[in-house]
Amino acid sequence: MRRPALVRRDRVVPATQALGFFVGIVVALLLGAVLLIVSDHSPAEVYERMFDSAFRGTDSLSRTLGRATPLALAGLSVAVAGSMGLWNIGAEGQMMAGAIVATGVAMMADGLSGPLLIALMMVAGVAGGMVLMVGPALARSHLGVSEIITTLMLVYVAIRVVEWLETGPWKDPESFGFAVIEPVPEQAALPGLFGRANIGMLIALGLLIVFSVAVSRTAWGYELRLAGSSPDTARYAGVSLRRKILAALLLSGGIAGLAGAVQLTGSATRLESGLSNGYGFAGIIVAALALMRPSGVAVVAFVFGAVQVGGQSIQTLGVSSAISDILQAMILFGALVAVVFFSYRVRWSAPSVGLPAGVREEPDPSAEAA
Amino acid sequence: MASSDADYAVWLRGIDKQFPGVIACAGADLRVRPGTIHALLGENGAGKTTMVNVLAGVYRPDVGEVWVSGRRRFFQSPADAIQAGVGMVYQEFRLVPTLTVAENIVLGAAPRLLRGSEIEQRVAELSATYGLAADPARPVWQLSMGERQRVEILKALWRNASVLVMDEPTAVLTPGEAAELGSTLQAMASEGRSVIYISHKLDQVVAFCDEATVLRRGKTVATVDNLDDVDLHELAEMMVGSSQSGALGRPPPGETGHEVLRLQGIHAVGDRGLPALTDIDLTVRSGEIVGIVGVSGNGQKELAEVISGLRPPAEGQVAVKGQDVTEASPSDRYRLGLAYVPEDRLGMGLAPKMSVVDNSVVRSYRSQRRGVFLSMSRCLEFCRGLVERFGVRVGRLNDPIAGLSGGNLQRLLLGRELAGQPSVLVAAQPSRGLDVQGVAAIQGHLVDQRAGGVGVLLISEDLDELLALSDRLLVMFEGRIVGEYGPDVTPRTILGAAMSGNPPT
Repeated sequence: MRRPALVRRDRVVPATQALGFFVGIVVALLLGAVLLIVSDHSPAEVYERMFDSAFRGTDSLSRTLGRATPLALAGLSVAVAGSMGLWNIGAEGQMMAGAIVATGVAMMADGLSGPLLIALMMVAGVAGGMVLMVGPALARSHLGVSEIITTLMLVYVAIRVVEWLETGPWKDPESFGFAVIEPVPEQAALPGLFGRANIGMLIALGLLIVFSVAVSRTAWGYELRLAGSSPDTARYAGVSLRRKILAALLLSGGIAGLAGAVQLTGSATRLESGLSNGYGFAGIIVAALALMRPSGVAVVAFVFGAVQVGGQSIQTLGVSSAISDILQAMILFGALVAVVFFSYRVRWSAPSVGLPAGVREEPDPSAEAA
Repeated sequence: MASSDADYAVWLRGIDKQFPGVIACAGADLRVRPGTIHALLGENGAGKTTMVNVLAGVYRPDVGEVWVSGRRRFFQSPADAIQAGVGMVYQEFRLVPTLTVAENIVLGAAPRLLRGSEIEQRVAELSATYGLAADPARPVWQLSMGERQRVEILKALWRNASVLVMDEPTAVLTPGEAAELGSTLQAMASEGRSVIYISHKLDQVVAFCDEATVLRRGKTVATVDNLDDVDLHELAEMMVGSSQSGALGRPPPGETGHEVLRLQGIHAVGDRGLPALTDIDLTVRSGEIVGIVGVSGNGQKELAEVISGLRPPAEGQVAVKGQDVTEASPSDRYRLGLAYVPEDRLGMGLAPKMSVVDNSVVRSYRSQRRGVFLSMSRCLEFCRGLVERFGVRVGRLNDPIAGLSGGNLQRLLLGRELAGQPSVLVAAQPSRGLDVQGVAAIQGHLVDQRAGGVGVLLISEDLDELLALSDRLLVMFEGRIVGEYGPDVTPRTILGAAMSGNPPT
């Protein structure tokens, strides 16, 4: 009896990757069409609306890019840790921590000019994300405590802190009794680029390029990859694993914190407990689909943003939000399955014991050098 | 030996098994009669573990047949092998520490509709039958290593195993526990069960076992039907081979120069927290090959790690070319002229998932920098140089290195270490698992380095290799150096020293 088994591909060709991704999405759309027909909608009409609202025209495109920005930053945050084999599950919380510190800075320095205040708030965001990561990073590097658990748990701590600030110390006195924090100063709003897009997008793009180069082209990135893929080899090469773990996790936290600050100054008006809006968790999916590569994060975040924008728009055609959510999930699921197939191939294993004793396959002459 | 298949409890016939880069078994046979304790002997990497994993359904052989209790088997998984009556006791125990002894024993094979106390009672009966004392209600994490091993054996007996495989069972036991284990196994054999016993401790093998199979480089080189007929030394000679058919004649004695490596009063602790090296003094001079002989697990691995900087010694000094490097990191030692080919090629020496280029600059990437950047063109050039100079057969240089064959991996690794023009080379098991050409190429490089004035410390379990290449031989036993011999020593003398720790005079 032959059984299928997944075998990791030795080499993943970018073209195969792109093709796999595309095929995965197309298959998902076809399956989604069945769902739409069953629920009495025209798939052609729904898909056209999805496409138009995500890509057609400046306004649509800018909306997609606006969604893609926090996804890209959160995805990058997860991917930086992931390139060392670590999982930052708590980007959602680090976004909040970044936004909290950035808000604090804005409250203290609201007399400053726009660009200076924005720059300070960005730095504050990075610092906030890093602060929330200090505990998990040290626990991982020095005690071997799983960063997956600690980063996740701190998400809820960060959200509760915001709720406490809303109702207590930072409650806006002019809010007519509502438990909200006062809005960030007007001059701190990120300058727009076109449509709804603002320079947050450029910040994300810049960071993606910087990290993409840093990981693949610098000695620091080489050490990071070495430590991530083979810790013993890294030790042998004289690389300090502890320092690399600390660096990767703190940077990951810092980038997520920056995402929080960008979100605060870009699309939100004030710090609130819904500010991170699931982007931090979605970043895990983005990074996984991008195979932890910063260069892939940009593409995946853009597609992911488009799916979200498109998915919302079809509700104006009377598609229920449940169906819309299912469609979005199917597309992501299709892409995820595709990742499996472009990272692995299916091998049908030979019958359990291949050949009787004594029968040898001809040795492959290219296997060993003369 | 024209007996019918049904006579054997286990018959592994003509097993071939290859892993990426390593030939583990090449036509090996193993025949075990019912009711016997069968020793499976061989150096590390000879294929013993692969053979028993084939029997246990963990690996499927590329070629070959598996027969258990007279029937040909096609195991798809360990569960199939358990079903067929094969019980495995691995060196690293596979018990759930938080569960009780009884829960561990019946895990996955619990009778339905029985209360916990009844299961505990049945387990207690089983342990009483075989004299394997173990309190069924105690959680496993509270048990000593010896008790955990008893639980593993009870687990196999609970599943009514007709064949019990034990991989290095006495490594974790005190001498008293080891003797007890011997009598338990003999009791099982007298009931008609068979035991396959893997061990490096030949005195124990001779004491408990009835018959033996000896593997060498993936092939069965000897079978002994009655262990009473052979002595310890004959058995050891079968394991390491005393054919003197080494790939090379001994290189002509060269001129040895100044001291390049010195260890003084080194003490070190092993992974289990027990002393692994005791008061080691050794020196290697320029232009000589010093061989380290010893049965596996007598401190060779720790010695290599202390020298290369991966294991800090508890006491003592390491000096390279007269300079104290005891506190230096592995990379600093490399810069000072100490190259190291580790025993664990893929995983320590090389990073399997990284590319050929990335792997070739593990030692030198710091000098391939241009500002903060790593110069890709320089790395590539360096890698091409290595590949050409050392005749490494590779595909694309940007592909993961795991696709290379064992011989080519080792050529690249050795080449990378030699690229820094070291004064000392520590090579641990450099030719293990390679095919004939690979062995010849690696040994050739070692001899060339010696001729070029490098001092080589060669740690090997292949006595032929050591006798063929070394200018001096040091024997290690239980973490000490117990004897030093010239190149003309007989295999028997060396073996005597390595087995007993007492060099004959």
